[in-house]
Amino acid sequence: MALLSHWHFDPLLILFVAALTVLYGFISRFRRPTNNWYFGSAVFFFLLATCSPLHFFGMHYYFSVYMVCHITLLLLCGPLLVMALPHKPSPFVTTRLKAFAASLSSHPWLLWFAGVGIMWFWHIPIVFDDSMGAMQSGFSIISSIHPLTMLAGGFLFSWPLFSPIENRQLHPLAGVLYLFTACISCSLLGLLITFAPAGTYHHYIGMANMPGRPWNISWQDDQQAAGLIMWVPCCFLYLTGCIYLLAHWFSAKSTNAGRRPETIKPLILHENGKK
Amino acid sequence: MSRLEHIRIPEPEKPLPGLTISSDQGLIQWLSSVDHKQIGIMYLWLSVLFILVGGIEILLVRIQLAVPNNHFLNPEVFNQLFTMHGTTMIFFVLAPAIFGFATYFVPLMIGANDMAFPRMNAFSFWCTLFGGLLLYFSYLAGGAPDAGWFNYAPLNQFSYSSSPGIDYYCSGLLLAGIGTVSASVNFIVTIFRLRVDGMGLKQMPVFVWMILINSFLILAAFPSLNAALVMLLLDRELHAHFFNPGNGGSALLWQHLFWLFGHPEVYILILPVFGIFSEVFPVFSRKPIFGYGFVVASGVAIALLAFGVWVHHMFATGLGNTVNNFFAASSLLIGVPTGVKIFNWLATMYGGSIRFSVAMLFAIAFLVEFTIGGLTGISFAIVPIDWQLTDTYYVVAHLHYVFIGGSLFGLISGIFYWYPKISGRMLSEKMGRWFFWLFVIGFNLTFLVQHALGAMGMPRRVYTYPDLPGWGILNMISSLGGGLMGIAVCLLVYMLFTSRKTGQIAGSDPWDANTLEWTTTSPPPLKNFNLVIPVRSTRPFRDWKRPDDTDWAREGVNNE
Repeated sequence: MALLSHWHFDPLLILFVAALTVLYGFISRFRRPTNNWYFGSAVFFFLLATCSPLHFFGMHYYFSVYMVCHITLLLLCGPLLVMALPHKPSPFVTTRLKAFAASLSSHPWLLWFAGVGIMWFWHIPIVFDDSMGAMQSGFSIISSIHPLTMLAGGFLFSWPLFSPIENRQLHPLAGVLYLFTACISCSLLGLLITFAPAGTYHHYIGMANMPGRPWNISWQDDQQAAGLIMWVPCCFLYLTGCIYLLAHWFSAKSTNAGRRPETIKPLILHENGKK
Repeated sequence: MSRLEHIRIPEPEKPLPGLTISSDQGLIQWLSSVDHKQIGIMYLWLSVLFILVGGIEILLVRIQLAVPNNHFLNPEVFNQLFTMHGTTMIFFVLAPAIFGFATYFVPLMIGANDMAFPRMNAFSFWCTLFGGLLLYFSYLAGGAPDAGWFNYAPLNQFSYSSSPGIDYYCSGLLLAGIGTVSASVNFIVTIFRLRVDGMGLKQMPVFVWMILINSFLILAAFPSLNAALVMLLLDRELHAHFFNPGNGGSALLWQHLFWLFGHPEVYILILPVFGIFSEVFPVFSRKPIFGYGFVVASGVAIALLAFGVWVHHMFATGLGNTVNNFFAASSLLIGVPTGVKIFNWLATMYGGSIRFSVAMLFAIAFLVEFTIGGLTGISFAIVPIDWQLTDTYYVVAHLHYVFIGGSLFGLISGIFYWYPKISGRMLSEKMGRWFFWLFVIGFNLTFLVQHALGAMGMPRRVYTYPDLPGWGILNMISSLGGGLMGIAVCLLVYMLFTSRKTGQIAGSDPWDANTLEWTTTSPPPLKNFNLVIPVRSTRPFRDWKRPDDTDWAREGVNNE
């Protein structure tokens, strides 16, 4: 039970959440848009990944738990924030959203790199160890930058898929390719972490003998589990996204875009046998 | 300019020589052809040639295993035979047959006159053929490969296999792999660029969808195999040490690279077949496919999941419980989209006016056999069962229920369905039924008992075995079943040859079918279409034949 008491509220992050809530209220004109539960979920998961005992466990005991926090920020909070954006905001916001969408959507591959690149960057062993060391040494700007960049990465990555400006969204099949390539990248990173020599991430070796460390999982197994979480469940999240896109695409009514029936004349069939 | 105008290109008007080489130009017309239909036919003949060769190899193996303590073959020959059998059947029978159907029918089904890159199409075929010939040249060069079809390290290293067989394995598969990759690029461009005006992606036949998904799967999976083959060649020829643990390499690396290709390869060999069934079931049930979107989306899901489960082939290599547990869970999941498809086909049949043609019989038999293969596959996702049964005859039975009960049954169904279009002649339904029962009974006799043999502990790839209780009789049953299958295949080849000239004239649409390939003559002229009927649903030909009962009107699709 003592473990569950490890809540830690970083003032900068709390300030960020408050500002984000005000901004969202402004964008949605302080009404209750139908998709505001997406925003609530995003904030809930963000606080879970940055302030809860889950975060504490990840910081102090287990890489695998930290990986869960990473994935929560990148693949849950980011997309949920984009999906939370109202489809009919105020004209002032609409103009700016359209401009924002136009600037982002012209180069979707950059957004892909933003999401995938941030994920890779924070898992470079030396970067990971230094940032964790800095965060553990007390109040550090890194402890705020780290989750915020993950959230931003997830937001940017999800933008072409769930943008509120529908004509700025990727075609669903292009979206499937977008997610699939991200899944491959994610698998590669997970694979590298899984099969890297045990102890590649030094931070957790030092934590192995910390008093109060629960479950008694070895740091070797912990590193493998972290890589596997990145590899397998993470890919299933991407896959779920693919299926979501496909389901929407198939359920959308067919249009006659690009068809010119008048140019299609019936073929005269060769009736040289039985039908 | 519409796509319809795009396909109006000047082309020779002379008819094709059908399935024979008796034309004014003879064999040279086939050797020099860039026509997708001729290349498709050549892929299919290549497959027939190699199924006979691979079949003879495994019959020799089954004779050796028919009784305990047999010395009909020596261990070295036995190793070469089972290796060549597996490699041949996967890379030079199933794959070319799939590519043959795809090369022949994808352009016809999308209303195009050829593939996007006809010369590259020919290049792909000849690469595959010469890859196969190179593999078999190993017999003349000093010995065939002998480390199994997945060619594990360190057995593939020079110190364990000093004959040049494995070098030919690498070269042959590399060459065939280049052909496969180039063919996939060709399919993707063809499907995206050459569909007839009106055929959106949601109106594409499921077979074309599956070939499209499959092509992406190949592009993602084959680089891993090709890289591994080059690395192995470097190990063997230039004394590199990628897979040699004694010098800092890793034998497990080969398994990772191979199965990163190998597990998707299972789906590469089954997804197009799912496409064939998705044509056969609706036509012979006289109903549209049930849940078109589900069938396509589950194909995409299978393709994506294929890359997340390969480690289940390596549960016994000591990767640790953490790794095993994750991949056990993911491997169990992959059964879901496959199960979705099975129910889609059952629902397609339900309430339909079913015609039990030979093509449909194989499709129905597939539902049973492939489900058995699928269920035994699921059992391998459970780690303790995998540890108990890995490298036993249970695995042999499982993979044959997937590759034969799944892939080969689908290809045979495709032969009976499309042979009239390719040749202009019908295959005999009466002889076809003989073939069906011989093959299905033979298949189940051969492999059903192997589940028991595996559970009793008989390891795979042993050249002989002691006279333990039950092993002799079960192996004898298995060998007799293999003989029946051999007779059945000979009957099929006989039918394929003789029906070219003596079969009943087929006509353009013998099955009252749904898709565009049936709107042209049988066999189609060199230029497939002058004009194409309007496409507004997945069953355009049926819509055209029944203007008062069209799919697009019933589904409320607004095309005007």
